[in-house]
Amino acid sequence: MKNMKKIMAFALAAVLAVSCLTGCGKSESKKSAYFIGATGPLTGDAMSYGVSVNRGAQIAVDEINEAGGLNGVEFTYEMKDDKATAADASTGYDSLYDDGMQVSIGSVTSASCEAFASKAAEDNLFFITPSASAASVIENRSNAFRVCFGDPDQGTLAAEELSENFEKIGCIYDTSDTYSTGIWEAFDEEMKNLGTEYTVCTFDADNKRDFSSQVDTLKDCDVIFLPIYYTEAGLIAKACAAKGVDAEIFGCDGLDGVAEQIDSTVTNRIRYITPFDVNSTDEKVAAFVSKYEDAYGEKPDQFAADGYDAVYAIYLAMDAAGVNDVKISASDLCDKIVEAITDDSFSYAGLTGDMTWDESGACTKVPVIVELSN
Amino acid sequence: MKQYLKNIKQSFKLKKSLNYFVIAAFLIAMIGLDAGGMLGRSTVGILSRIAYCIILAVSLNLVVGFLGELSLGHAGFMCVGAYVGCFCANLLHKSIASDLLVLIIAMLIGGATAAVFGFIVGLPALRLRGDYLAIVTLAFGEIVRNIFNGWDAFGGAMGLGTKPYDAHSLFIVAFIVVLFVLMVCQNLIRSKHGRAITAIRDNEIAAKAMGINVTYYKLFVFTIAAFFAGVAGVIYGHSVSIIRQDYFTYNYSIDYLVMVVLGGMGSMNGSIIAASLITYINVWLQNMLTGDLAGIKQPIYALILIAVVMFNNAPALKPFKERFNLRNLWDLIFRSRRKPEVIKDDAAEWNRIETKIKIDDLLSVEVPPNKANTPDKPQKDGAAAKPKKGGK
Amino acid sequence: MNIVSGLINGLSLGAIYALIALGYTMVYGIARMLNFAHGDIIMVGAYAIYFAVGISDNPVVSILGSIVFAILICTLMGVITEGLAYRPLRGASPLAVLITAIGVSYFLQGIAQMAFGAKALPITLPNLGTIRLFGTSISVGTIITLILGLILMLALTLFVKYTRTGRAMLAVSEDNGAAQLMGVNVNRIIMLTFAIGSALAAFASLFYLFSIPSVDPKLGSMPGIKAFAAAVIGGIGSIPGAVIGGLLLGLIENVCKTVPGLSQYTLAIEFGILILMLLIRPIGILGKKRRVKV
Repeated sequence: MKNMKKIMAFALAAVLAVSCLTGCGKSESKKSAYFIGATGPLTGDAMSYGVSVNRGAQIAVDEINEAGGLNGVEFTYEMKDDKATAADASTGYDSLYDDGMQVSIGSVTSASCEAFASKAAEDNLFFITPSASAASVIENRSNAFRVCFGDPDQGTLAAEELSENFEKIGCIYDTSDTYSTGIWEAFDEEMKNLGTEYTVCTFDADNKRDFSSQVDTLKDCDVIFLPIYYTEAGLIAKACAAKGVDAEIFGCDGLDGVAEQIDSTVTNRIRYITPFDVNSTDEKVAAFVSKYEDAYGEKPDQFAADGYDAVYAIYLAMDAAGVNDVKISASDLCDKIVEAITDDSFSYAGLTGDMTWDESGACTKVPVIVELSN
Repeated sequence: MKQYLKNIKQSFKLKKSLNYFVIAAFLIAMIGLDAGGMLGRSTVGILSRIAYCIILAVSLNLVVGFLGELSLGHAGFMCVGAYVGCFCANLLHKSIASDLLVLIIAMLIGGATAAVFGFIVGLPALRLRGDYLAIVTLAFGEIVRNIFNGWDAFGGAMGLGTKPYDAHSLFIVAFIVVLFVLMVCQNLIRSKHGRAITAIRDNEIAAKAMGINVTYYKLFVFTIAAFFAGVAGVIYGHSVSIIRQDYFTYNYSIDYLVMVVLGGMGSMNGSIIAASLITYINVWLQNMLTGDLAGIKQPIYALILIAVVMFNNAPALKPFKERFNLRNLWDLIFRSRRKPEVIKDDAAEWNRIETKIKIDDLLSVEVPPNKANTPDKPQKDGAAAKPKKGGK
Repeated sequence: MNIVSGLINGLSLGAIYALIALGYTMVYGIARMLNFAHGDIIMVGAYAIYFAVGISDNPVVSILGSIVFAILICTLMGVITEGLAYRPLRGASPLAVLITAIGVSYFLQGIAQMAFGAKALPITLPNLGTIRLFGTSISVGTIITLILGLILMLALTLFVKYTRTGRAMLAVSEDNGAAQLMGVNVNRIIMLTFAIGSALAAFASLFYLFSIPSVDPKLGSMPGIKAFAAAVIGGIGSIPGAVIGGLLLGLIENVCKTVPGLSQYTLAIEFGILILMLLIRPIGILGKKRRVKV
């Protein structure tokens, strides 16, 4: 008995001691490159977003390094897996910071980016998130910027577009998702302002597969507004087809990718707001798409383009600020980048449109409404 | 009460409290390293994570390992504690300047609220056992998530924003809480109350016949385990800056079940070791495995879980296990003069004592009042339910 | 919202729950264990259908082919898990068996995620079209779900009541020690129970895919838990109870989803009903009371 307890105690001590060793081993390495960090869901339900952003960002970093980097100094880039949870995003941020992260493209999803942003705000570390669109991520934070549209902007835009062109409007949104509720709240407010009536249905993360009752409720509508992600939108489109509902489907940038989810049975017209059109003839976009296809064997989605743009925005802002010290601290670098990026003369023509930024951190660019052709 | 204090006094022998000293020494070492700037941020982050995982595993062990009821809703209690505690912390920050004080008050409030829910969930435990109770606790966890998701005061789907506590001091507070939790649980288990609890686990009806107040003890264990889960939730909430309900799914409860089973049901030290180890490995694997390969973690844990349970419980393996278990092997190699069968263990060996009453029989336990004194079958193992005086 | 179409949607969802609940209730009644992994057998069946549905362009051949394939795979999976994971634990404490079942469920999900990815795969089942009934259009898949579901339940009831094997099952569920003395091979009967339950799960996965054409590793876990709730509400161990519980739960879920304001609390309401049921009448609607034997 006594021995057993002792063994256990020693094992306990050993285990706990091992856990601290990771931190002890790391020392300030000789920096020879600027370090861009990020966290995103590389596993789990939301992994497709994280993987896309990661690939897009990696392509941008490789391009910049091939072209000689910033004044001869290259960039390194790393994304830690956060499974789209706040806890893992915090852990990821900490370990990136320990590794010497100087600037970041934040987190991919809104909830984890919120955790990331609050840590980054303490350190005054500049980040520009490719896809975390919740308003709260950049609110009251001078170091936080984003590439994508904000959720409220899309909701307002959709409300204007729909109430102008349609009579009977329906809407299905996901009550358990930050992105979806964010858009819907703005949409709802704008619809009330405009005095347009509409029918609303909801679902949540635990009931996100069976949409027959929602579609039944909305079957007389001319248009169904879907401020949700493409997986569920694909199911809704199929449910519409199965029930013979021929309403138009209108969505936001989350719908990008819905084409893979549906088949020839779906005849509904599908349109969505997106800043990135993969079939665009724009020279830059075409070059990016072919590079992405060569590397990964599939077409990039909007998340990949956002990731690419985020890295380039950082690069151009650092260039404009005249950063020339590879050992610059995150906080100093942040002040310089913020000054440069909010300057009136700064603009970046990226894959997702011509972008400018102001102090709020929001990005100004022109949204495009694209139609999905079958 | 006097008896209880006496029990505490008795149990405070060095060999029985070695784990406190190990943890305390570890904590002091970490504080020293941290003061010297040796610990990176990620390390202190992992430390507080390990701390709240230990609290959760130890408190779940109280329910699963000692009371013998399966709870799949531990994440639900944690969720209640995290939301309510951090909500109060947000309010308190306006009037109280000291972060530490706010954290302590938040832990108490979060723990107390979770305890109230633990009491409520414990109520069905009086009528139900085993599978049914597992489903009720699972259902409770999902209901809690569902409600917080729709509750705008708590941030709704956006989640509740919190003010993170300084990571370099959070782990100190968290480990002090671990020590406190360990002290309460260990002393509880070693007291006569603990023996009453294990007696209920081994044979509820026999325990009842011995005069143990089953109702009281079941509710007591559920409440206290929920309290600690709530406290762990508050620590979690202060280590991240946003609490969202989708973190507390029943899969998260199962993660803790894995820790408890792996560490050994009914073994506090086992839970502590398993919780630290698994948490650390998880963080480590997070960086090692990417893409669909990350799925490999789940089947491996599942296989370990099945293997451990089967090894401990399969009737066919019993003779084999009794000859070759770790403790006997140790004795065989190093002190061959002691024979394995001489070594009797106390309640920590829950699986050795056969459960006589099958689950379905207990589903609608009704011992009519006039038959209350029907003699029980003789006990195979006397350790299970030694008659205790009182228990009320 | 048309009442008829709401009713039919609810019933077809209920039929899926009922089919899954039958698997739970049979295994529970006979092997005395909660097979937590039953929901994941549905996921396995769904992947089987996903890969088999493309064998032919003819919709009937393709659906029949894929369901046969799914039944084979599911039955095999059920028998294997029973033989490898549950049989060694026969006679062990219920807690141990339950934890093992959770482990099996976890294992199947993890393996599926490794093999097929966490992403939901869209699946194209042959389009069976819609028909108009009582002034609303209803998809043929829904109708098939309802009719075939009821036929299967009826067949199962008759099988248990009127065949030798069925009666042996009843005997094992009543008292497996006595059944063994009477010459019933208990292990074989339990294996058969798992096989039947898993074959029903294969049908459930086909019906599930009719209404929700997408496959992912966690597909089975929530319907599995809800079906267990249905089995408990109906009275565990009772075949008609499982059917009633399943249909009831399907209807409740559909009502909740269509009432604005309630829809986001669907899960809470369903589980709330389960907890209430267990508190008020733990044996369920049609369950039999068992006396305690000390």
